[in-house]
Amino acid sequence: MSKNGFTRRQFVKAGLLTSAGAAVGAGVLKPTGLWAAPAKIKGPVKVGYQAIMSGTLAGYGEFHKMGATMAMEEINKAGGIAGVPLEVEFRDSTLKKPQAIKNARYFVDSWGADFLAGVDSSGQALALAPVMAQLGKPLMVTHAATEKLTEIEVFKKGIKEIFRICTPTYQDGNAAAFVAQGLPAKKWATISPKYEYGYTCWKMFKGTLGKLKPGTEFVAESWAPFGTTDFRPHINTIMDAKPDGLYSVEWAGELITMIKQAKQAGLFKQIKHIMLPVGAAMDVLEGLGSEMPDGVWISGRYFFMFPNDQRNIDWVARFRKRWNHYPAYVSETGYSAMFAYKQAVEAAGSKEAKAVIGALEGMKMGSPAGERVFRKEDHQAMYEVPWGLTASNPKYPFKVMGKQVVIPPVEFFNRPPFEGPGTHPPFKG
Amino acid sequence: MLESIVHVCLAGLSQGMFIWLVASGLTLIFGVLGVLNFAHGAFYMLGAYFCYTVLAALGDNFWLGLIFGPLFVCAVGFLVERYFLRYVYHLDLPYQLLLTFAFVLIFDDLVKIVWGAGSISSPTVPGLGGSVSIMGRMFPTYSLFIIAVGPLVALGLWAALERTWAGRIIRAASSDREMAAALGAKVPWIFTGVFVFGVWLGALGGGLAVPYVGLLTPGMGESIVIEAFVVAVIGGLGSLKGAFFGALIIGLLSSFGTRFLPSFDMFLTFILMALVLLWRPQGFFGEASR
Repeated sequence: MSKNGFTRRQFVKAGLLTSAGAAVGAGVLKPTGLWAAPAKIKGPVKVGYQAIMSGTLAGYGEFHKMGATMAMEEINKAGGIAGVPLEVEFRDSTLKKPQAIKNARYFVDSWGADFLAGVDSSGQALALAPVMAQLGKPLMVTHAATEKLTEIEVFKKGIKEIFRICTPTYQDGNAAAFVAQGLPAKKWATISPKYEYGYTCWKMFKGTLGKLKPGTEFVAESWAPFGTTDFRPHINTIMDAKPDGLYSVEWAGELITMIKQAKQAGLFKQIKHIMLPVGAAMDVLEGLGSEMPDGVWISGRYFFMFPNDQRNIDWVARFRKRWNHYPAYVSETGYSAMFAYKQAVEAAGSKEAKAVIGALEGMKMGSPAGERVFRKEDHQAMYEVPWGLTASNPKYPFKVMGKQVVIPPVEFFNRPPFEGPGTHPPFKG
Repeated sequence: MLESIVHVCLAGLSQGMFIWLVASGLTLIFGVLGVLNFAHGAFYMLGAYFCYTVLAALGDNFWLGLIFGPLFVCAVGFLVERYFLRYVYHLDLPYQLLLTFAFVLIFDDLVKIVWGAGSISSPTVPGLGGSVSIMGRMFPTYSLFIIAVGPLVALGLWAALERTWAGRIIRAASSDREMAAALGAKVPWIFTGVFVFGVWLGALGGGLAVPYVGLLTPGMGESIVIEAFVVAVIGGLGSLKGAFFGALIIGLLSSFGTRFLPSFDMFLTFILMALVLLWRPQGFFGEASR
């Protein structure tokens, strides 16, 4: 027997496999060790993707689909995942919890999914957590933002199957507070959605801004139920309170309606500082066109102009060529989720849930949005997303970010164990 | 404070008039045909999309869109009544609900195929896009226009049903369809006509909503049709007068609720409906039994 522990036969086998792997496509297969990984993977890698594809928010589902489909096409054209093809199937989440659970069960039990991805609603994501633990397959959340998913379900309850590739409410609440700190506004008010996402963002914004800038007042809040088409009573509430700043996590169509009606009511003349944490969504910017006022602070989960590097510029160009659209943020997170699975499967040399979860924890990956790192403790991807002031730009038929501010994620992401001193921003040192 | 109350009042009135425009068609169809048309919200949505398409095709002329857009929806409504709905009149209410709900799903998907799943932002109306200052606060001119249109539609409907020969026949056919048929009224055609007219009202509501809501989305009729149902129940199913006052009450209630009782704004509307159903199940203006 040889000294290094290999038999002759094993050595030859390993060599054959690695060279077979190399023949399939150099650069596609990256065996991590001598024991070439591809040997263990059988059949296609199947990802079940659910997003909202019906009703007033159906446009979001389309954008999810464009991103994930484009990733699938690119991955398969370049030789697949560890030599096997990637298959993605889409289902309508309808934004209702029972449907989300039904979809997850269908994907895993009937369709044979290896991994799941997608999910827009925070309520759905929280409902899915225990189901994923039961099904034992990873779910990469690409849109739902509540911090409770990663802080409580993953970190506290130990549900290892959940990962999140998009920025959580830290971007909407904490990062907004860091930007607001530098503004001359002293009195803030909100019109926000009357559900989990709206409450949690406003609470975080108030908490962090209160600490960053003691003496800031929060003078009014008006909660608009899902499906609101008339924001005038809400606008009245806010204008009566006479704040200098308005913070709103209204999103998608309702944000478009709110901005149009606020403009007609003269709100932007009375209130000078406006912060819209999800205002940098493409449906909102393209939908409002020139009607979006200048000088409004906007952000999102990704903005196509950031980072200004070759990788992102190329990706946006490819996306526009493929779909004739600028990528929405859910397109980027859907696209990158597929590449996250690819990298994790190839690193683990397996598509088994346990091995892939292990590979994803702490994994660093390049993506159009820049470098992402999946934090080991709570499975939350950390990456930079800018806040910016709306401005006209002759290159685009809609408003884009002019001045941009980037706050490093380590400064404003809550830190494990998420309770007690030193876990919420601002951090010392 | 006073200017706030005035503005909340105006916002409530315009909201109420919108619900009325939708509820009027729903009520008319129920009153005459006895059909609970769940697809009414889908006709509202189609109205919005057709108005938008016509106005975009004719160089952003909102008024032409509003005149011609709903006519396309009427054609759709005609096909639905003539080839589908007519066959379930004699069946129980659940069958009618199932059939009309099927059309909700079909139209939602058709809109996604034809116009795309994303939302479309709509242009403002030339001449009505601005705002006027009322007690030092701006109020949209277009909303004032809607507050005026609502009562005009109500008056027109009342005059058509109470003061014209056709209205008299429609009332006869609705109160006793066999007797009216025996006296020579062509009941099936009256029903088709009334259904198409009800659809026209819904589509008109959709067209008028375009500049008000500011955008078009598939499924945009879902929330308003529920409000219209609540209004119809409060006012008395089948009673146009009831629908008009019910819409005013709901509009004002939700506007004042949002401003002064924000924790209960969604609850107020439905608690009112529950109370009405308990103490006056036929609604404010409904007949005790048909």
